[in-house]
Amino acid sequence: MGYFRNIKETVATIFEGMSVTFSHFMRRPYTVQYPDRVPIRIQDTLPFRYRGILEVDLEICTGCLACERACPIDCIVIDAVKDKDTRQMMLNRFDIDIAKCMYCGLCSEPCPTGSIHHTSEFEGADYSLESMLRRFVKTPVVAYKPKKGPETDPEIAPILDRGMAYLTDFAAGGEE
Amino acid sequence: MSLGGYDVEVQRPGGLATEEMTLNMGPQHPSTHGVLRFIVKADGEVMREAIPDVGYLHRSIEKIAEKVGYHGFMPYTDRVDYVTAMPCNQGWGMVCEKLAGIEVPRRAEYCRVIAVELNRICSHLLSVGSMGMDIGAYTPFTHALREREYINDLLEELCGARLTFNYMRIGGVAWDLPPDWVPKAVAFLDRFEPLIDEYNALISYNKIYVERLANVAIITAEEAIDYNLVGPNLRGSGVKFDVRKDLPYSVYPEFEFDVPVGTGEVGTVGDCFDRYMVRIREMKESCRILRQALAGVPEGSVLTKVPRKFKPPVGDAYIRVESARGDMGWYCVSDGSEYPYRVKIRTGSFTATSIIDKVSRGLMIADLIAVVASFDLVAPEIDR
Amino acid sequence: MKQLVLQLTGEGGLLAGVPYPLAAALAMLVFGAIVVFVFVLPVAGVTSWLERRVWARIQSRVGPNRVGPQGFLQWLADGIKNMLKEDIIPTAADRILFSIAPYLVVIGFVATFAVIPFSSALVIADLNIGILYITAVTGLVVVGVLMAGWASNNKWSLLGGIRSAAQIVSYEIPAALSIFPIVLLTGTLSMQGIIQAQGWAPWNWFLFHSPFTFTAFFIFFVAALAEGNRTPFDLPEAESELVAGFCTEYSGMRYLLFFLAEWGNLYVIGAIVTTLFLGGWQVPHVTDNPFVLAVLQFGVFFVKSYFWVFIAMWVRATLPRVRVDQLMSLCWLYMVPIAIVNLVGTAIWMTVVPAGLDRVVQIAMTLAGAAVIVGFFGRVRFHLRRAKLRDIDYYYNPII
Repeated sequence: MGYFRNIKETVATIFEGMSVTFSHFMRRPYTVQYPDRVPIRIQDTLPFRYRGILEVDLEICTGCLACERACPIDCIVIDAVKDKDTRQMMLNRFDIDIAKCMYCGLCSEPCPTGSIHHTSEFEGADYSLESMLRRFVKTPVVAYKPKKGPETDPEIAPILDRGMAYLTDFAAGGEE
Repeated sequence: MSLGGYDVEVQRPGGLATEEMTLNMGPQHPSTHGVLRFIVKADGEVMREAIPDVGYLHRSIEKIAEKVGYHGFMPYTDRVDYVTAMPCNQGWGMVCEKLAGIEVPRRAEYCRVIAVELNRICSHLLSVGSMGMDIGAYTPFTHALREREYINDLLEELCGARLTFNYMRIGGVAWDLPPDWVPKAVAFLDRFEPLIDEYNALISYNKIYVERLANVAIITAEEAIDYNLVGPNLRGSGVKFDVRKDLPYSVYPEFEFDVPVGTGEVGTVGDCFDRYMVRIREMKESCRILRQALAGVPEGSVLTKVPRKFKPPVGDAYIRVESARGDMGWYCVSDGSEYPYRVKIRTGSFTATSIIDKVSRGLMIADLIAVVASFDLVAPEIDR
Repeated sequence: MKQLVLQLTGEGGLLAGVPYPLAAALAMLVFGAIVVFVFVLPVAGVTSWLERRVWARIQSRVGPNRVGPQGFLQWLADGIKNMLKEDIIPTAADRILFSIAPYLVVIGFVATFAVIPFSSALVIADLNIGILYITAVTGLVVVGVLMAGWASNNKWSLLGGIRSAAQIVSYEIPAALSIFPIVLLTGTLSMQGIIQAQGWAPWNWFLFHSPFTFTAFFIFFVAALAEGNRTPFDLPEAESELVAGFCTEYSGMRYLLFFLAEWGNLYVIGAIVTTLFLGGWQVPHVTDNPFVLAVLQFGVFFVKSYFWVFIAMWVRATLPRVRVDQLMSLCWLYMVPIAIVNLVGTAIWMTVVPAGLDRVVQIAMTLAGAAVIVGFFGRVRFHLRRAKLRDIDYYYNPII
């Protein structure tokens, strides 16, 4: 009697499947209508650890090159030289090639001040490859020199606080 | 070059000569799961042979490992199998730890297990969903992907990425579980588990679906072992082997879970339906593991201190992890320098590709799609 | 229509002096053209939009909602886009066959509208062999599809075309065999005649006439889905297997025509099902005003037939695709024998069952049908409960 069992099973399972699909008429679609029909910007809904496009706070960059060394694909190029006259570390070049970057987060982990960090920005589409190369140093700047005590400069202190907060939250696993 | 190359002319009664048709399925084809190519010799709808032609997605990942160092290779392991990146992360982490003899903190092991099992559900959802889509039902796919999105959200919160996680490090994991994350994960499991039943009601036991999968491409247990199938493909043939259970690693021995095997409930043991059903059941088992792991995360650090210039002693190590596509082998030879001397990754999809030609003879072209989907092939994992 | 033509050809009419047969043919042509452009094309287009929306909701998505209110004009945008696209004919293709194949498919489906009775008055031609005409004319589709598959000179197309030919030819048989019980009951092949033999109430429909017509209905609907290349019988297109089947090589306007035919066919299926089994345009007697009556009848007919279009969409969103050998075994081992049993059963039913019992059976079957629907919603409720939805997950509004 496999013949009639087949018919019965076909009808029963299709009935069941149709009831499942019908129940979805009463469920809310879960589509996020990116980019224009969202209640808040998607960037603001992303979790803190989200690894978006990299950004550098030059004010607190020490020029230690830890990020450049950590980068597995060499998308970070830093040119930091010690000025002979002033004995200060000068940052001549800090380039990140966003087109190469694979957003692994390995660079922001060893950063001592949290200067290089991921933002929640992810809309990186552009018309040319050149514009994907983010040049952070326009004119050579003096690298940040960590102080023994707490930071006193009112301009740098908030940035450093943010950087350190980022470090403790982002790389909470602890680093060497 | 002629692959398989022989031309057959079949003489039919009545003098009408027919020819075998050579079909080129892929690399651009809607259901070859990436860029996988099959050279199909078909007599009408019936396949005489289907020879997989791999290599379209080869990215020299093993060679890259020799150039970027131990720490730097971690993000690349995400790309070995982008559907299930966590076990690949874990595999690389474990092989380096074995090389250097590093002890991983218990909390880190728990984090790893949680991440891996969530990712396994992710991968199986994609697999069973695309199985439905390949058979022609599109709704199960979107329903599966909807649940996968929730897991992706969880993992994004955990490690900041949805697909290429780069979560683990040599000696632990990069980030601790975020605050309030555990209740969210448990809430997800509460919601997700009944949806597996709904999924079964929608598609798994649908008569048309069962007819399409039952008794198709039967692989016996001996064949499966001979052809070195691993993971759900092996278990679908009724062989109860799971690396997590039989060669335990990490903290898996502490958890209670079953290893589902193919039972041939609608056809023969080892058919496409069994391989499919094993994945559905494994999702439930993963939920079980996750509940136990989430309930018992110990306190402590999640990363041991590993020098930034990681130089393991001279030697080699091989470890096996249970990825979503089965036993994944990681072999690494160290010459004591900053860079690995040689890395070899052994993946389940590659061995599964080798049996396709054998099982697909005499099946229909439509069955080839079902067979490929039932093996859960992921093209980057085949080629690496 | 006859009166209209007489009026036009009569004294002072628009066509005064034209012989009656010519004028009648002209009137039919004009009316047919109006039906095609005002009704068929928009219906096919709107069906495409609606299908995508229905599909989307079932799949927890939103669907097209940008062009026009709720994406209602999406079909227009898609149509214009496709018309403006380059019409590529592959060099290896058979140019002539490749070019005319889509038109044959479209003719095959548009021609069926000639006999579809939208109301007691609104019908292009009430042929006395109406239902036979439909089965014959839809045969053109298979020629077109096969031609498209062959002329593309592509192996996927060829497979799709051959599948389609085998499928449509096979499924014509159960479809025709399940029409016969109705023909037996009414004694006419005319679409209007079949509708007139039914009533407006569900128990007067042939669907609930006897268990045999009930089965015949399902067989006809499934066979019609197969003839229209709809899931679960969309093997000729079979996206995951044959790339796009017989229309793999088509682009632009010609590609559009295949889809126009597919979606238009959906309405034809609904209309035939409504005519044969669901009482067509039959409405309760409420008015004698012929205009109001026509609108009412048209509305009822449209709603009924569109309901089955909706069912077809919903089926497509639920079921997987059968394999080609299962397609054949389903047809020849299940549907054809059952359809023959239905035919014989109906004949016996007509002679054996007395008139009083007839009515009881009809009422009982209507109640049974209602019970099935109630049971169905019970299952729906069960699934909603099991999914452990939060309040925010419930959303009844069709608009999003």
